[in-house]
Amino acid sequence: MMKTEMQLKLQAYLDGELPASESRGVRDLLANDREARELLTELSQTRDLIAAHEAGVKLPETREFYWAKIQRAIAPESQGGRQRSPGVPLLGWWRRILVSAGAVAAVAIAVLLSWSHATGGSDAVTISDGATLFTYRNYATDTTLVWLDYGSGTDFSNDSEGAKLTP
Amino acid sequence: MDHSTATDDALVRFARNGDMAAFEELVARHRDKLYARAYTMMRNEDEAIDLSQEAWVKGWQRLAQFQGESSFATWMTRIVINLCLDQLRKRKRQRAESIEAMDEESGGVERQMPIVMVNPAAGLEREDLRSRIDEALGKLTETHRTVLVLHEFEQMEYKNIAKIMNCSIGTVMSRLFYARRKMAALLQDLKKAG
Repeated sequence: MMKTEMQLKLQAYLDGELPASESRGVRDLLANDREARELLTELSQTRDLIAAHEAGVKLPETREFYWAKIQRAIAPESQGGRQRSPGVPLLGWWRRILVSAGAVAAVAIAVLLSWSHATGGSDAVTISDGATLFTYRNYATDTTLVWLDYGSGTDFSNDSEGAKLTP
Repeated sequence: MDHSTATDDALVRFARNGDMAAFEELVARHRDKLYARAYTMMRNEDEAIDLSQEAWVKGWQRLAQFQGESSFATWMTRIVINLCLDQLRKRKRQRAESIEAMDEESGGVERQMPIVMVNPAAGLEREDLRSRIDEALGKLTETHRTVLVLHEFEQMEYKNIAKIMNCSIGTVMSRLFYARRKMAALLQDLKKAG
């Protein structure tokens, strides 16, 4: 079996990385050693196979969809705004905006509901996928309790959530 | 201005002046190549999409640094490769290397593999061959796959691979040798199985 050093020289010869001074030694080896010739053939075939592989890999998204996410990330910068960190996952960024907007909308709906009820009692309204708004109005004490429920399986620990007490 | 007929160099000039439509055209032209490079290194579609998009964002931010010493596509490919390497380093820190990699680092495994005598590509349709190579690439460790990608796809010299992977030229040669021999063996096995 060939020594490791000679195997690596054979590979360097194939890759055109062997100094001219050492190439003659490898050529002599190839002329006299069948194992060396077979190894060179194997390395050469494998190299050619791999090089031809990437041509078939295509992006599994449309041009528009792929570009839209890039555009959202670079648009604030081109408009002189603050650049969002590229390290923040795009999906998470949008999710935070949507959840915040949903919370604001929920409070607005709660205020409207509390005005529209003539008598005391409770109400529940589904405001988005998986989120429900609950209200309780007590006219004796002239208070309205409002809370948001995102369901037990949802973690929005970074977002505003909970009860608001309005007089 | 019809961006679709402009050269890459012209589009880069427009993009430097804030022309996002010009940059979009560059993305459209080279998105498959960047994605393919990221996918080959990461072996995960979602991760490859995210990293390639992050590369485009960085490319936009660094357009002023592009001097035209290489083609724009090559410059962008280097950015995505660096992002993939960073991601792989993070992963590596989070878990131990595989036993296979440890074997390779200690040396000797690749020398004991029998030489593959039959061309594994013989008789295979192009698409079939591509999927088998893809499967075999997926069975390499990240370190070996990265050396292969940098050498076979990027045509990088040993010394440049050593620099980017922060190791010696001897280690690059050893890893490349192991990766090729392993690929030959895997493709041979796949051919037998098929």
